Amino acid sequence: MKKLRIGIFVLVALAQLAVPASVVWTRGRTLVYGRVWKFKTQPVDPIDAIRGRYVALRFAAETLQGSVQKPEQIAAESTIYVTLKEDADGFAQVDQISATPLTGDNVVKAVGCYSQDNADRVRFSFDRLWVAEKIAPQAEQAYRENSRRGKENAFVTVRVRDGDAALEQLYIDNQPLADYLRAQTAKK
Amino acid sequence: MAGSINRRALRWLRGQLPELVAAGAISPENAAAIDRHYGPVESRSNFGFVILATVGAALVGAGIILLIAHNWDDLSRATRTVIAFIPLLIAQALVAFVLMRRNESRPWREAVAVFDVAAVATAISLISQTYQIQGSFSDFMKVWLLLSIPIVYLLRTTIGAVVYIAGALVWLDSRWGFIFGRTESPTLFWGLLLLVVPYFWICFRHNRDSRETATLGVVLALATIFGLGVTAEFTKADLGAIAFAGLLTTIYLCGIKFFPRTDERLHVIALQGGIGIGITAIVLSFKSVWHMAHTVPWGQGSGAQDLGVLLELLFPVAAICLLAWDVFRKQWRFSLSAAVFPLVVASVWGIVRWCDAQGTDPRCEFAAATLINCYALWLGIDILVRGIRSDSLARANFGLLLIAVLAISRFFDSDLSFVTRGIGFIVVGAGFLVANILMFKKRSAVPA
Repeated sequence: MKKLRIGIFVLVALAQLAVPASVVWTRGRTLVYGRVWKFKTQPVDPIDAIRGRYVALRFAAETLQGSVQKPEQIAAESTIYVTLKEDADGFAQVDQISATPLTGDNVVKAVGCYSQDNADRVRFSFDRLWVAEKIAPQAEQAYRENSRRGKENAFVTVRVRDGDAALEQLYIDNQPLADYLRAQTAKK
Repeated sequence: MAGSINRRALRWLRGQLPELVAAGAISPENAAAIDRHYGPVESRSNFGFVILATVGAALVGAGIILLIAHNWDDLSRATRTVIAFIPLLIAQALVAFVLMRRNESRPWREAVAVFDVAAVATAISLISQTYQIQGSFSDFMKVWLLLSIPIVYLLRTTIGAVVYIAGALVWLDSRWGFIFGRTESPTLFWGLLLLVVPYFWICFRHNRDSRETATLGVVLALATIFGLGVTAEFTKADLGAIAFAGLLTTIYLCGIKFFPRTDERLHVIALQGGIGIGITAIVLSFKSVWHMAHTVPWGQGSGAQDLGVLLELLFPVAAICLLAWDVFRKQWRFSLSAAVFPLVVASVWGIVRWCDAQGTDPRCEFAAATLINCYALWLGIDILVRGIRSDSLARANFGLLLIAVLAISRFFDSDLSFVTRGIGFIVVGAGFLVANILMFKKRSAVPA
């Protein structure tokens, strides 16, 4: 009985380790080998009591242009697959939308949203950037100030590999977030 | 034997033995024989210590989560990954140690179980932060619960089981939202809840009179009530009234049947069901409850909705089976007025469906509410009479309370004149006073 119990525990322990380990493996490979896409940001920061602090992100590309090829109707909150292309400035834009799974280094998962201001919208799966607690308020402020109309000075890089999208870095004024905040503190 | 004896009664009896011997009521030999008959004295449960150990482990776990939620940017991704696994590996080593060396120590088992469960959450959270994983909170809860439930069985942790059920409710809330109505299927909640049922069964078999089994039973029943509420809302099949009547009666009957007591008092699970029946009867006595929404016609829902309908029907069927079983064997101890609740609600529901197929005739709703009012009155009077007969002040007053709430509800939602309302209040208030005076007189008349 004791041996059986220990045997079952070994399986449970392996499962408990496997869940985070599988994330490390899959996401780690995407972050190393994935294709880099730049997404221009739009303005918000709630607190997730369990998983620390993050900056909530919104992207210009989430508002669909008229030229996007898409199914007749996208149900709100339904999972969709989005093919990306680059615009003239090198930022990601939605090219096509499919309700059936697609793979490739230019495909990301998203969910359908309700239309806003007569424009169809989607929400990308990478909508949170986890940040250190001590820099969270400054990060949020910097993000807000540089993502508003008239001062669009922020973007994120996302690595995409076989449909897996990994948020890599938030850039403000062309500097990684941490460097930008350090420079701002030094200025003061 | 331990399972079938009320341990509190046994403690009382053992405490009485020296006094009985001193008074000459029984001989010392008789006292020793009685003592032997009930087996060796069980050591007092170290429940307080178990709680303290568990709280300690939970605090350590929470502290680790907070430290990690603090996040650190200066470390490389690889270093953070290694650190993320350390609490989990320590917890797992402790679990292995307890399984091999401290398997009989309940405080060790409970504390290490809580620590391991917290370490799983920590590892998933930290890896999620490090690798910018975006999954929703409900996904996180689901994975966490599924990785934690085996620990409940391996370490036989009742506190862990209670925490697991609470976690399943948090999942349900994150998926459905008790505040903001959403429409995601709650089916997985029933799967999560089913996973802990065998553990309750094990507790029941080993020690049904223990406080832990009772607590787990009450928590499980509460979770089922919440789950059924969400399922009824999700299926939109207008079956909520029957489902709730069935579930609460099942809880009541199970409490009476499977947790029998030697005295006249109800087991806490039966009490929970009984109070639930009373509250539901009052809720169903309002006319507006019987307005059938007809949102999803039968047979036209999704697979998950059909499954929900089956679940809604499962509980009334279970209640009726339990009721029929005891009635045919002519050995029931329950209150018949409470036990027939699902039959009454189902009949009223059938009448409303038959009388008003379109859901537009208010007379049908009025008829349904009137019938339930009559039933609730009968229920209140029956509980009152049973309370007076069994000399239970609490039960008698609950019966009176039921009648009073019923009266007050009707005074406010009907067009009775102020005089009628006034007389009604006086009658109900006088009823309270008379019943309590009678009970106190009866008690004081009994020789000490």
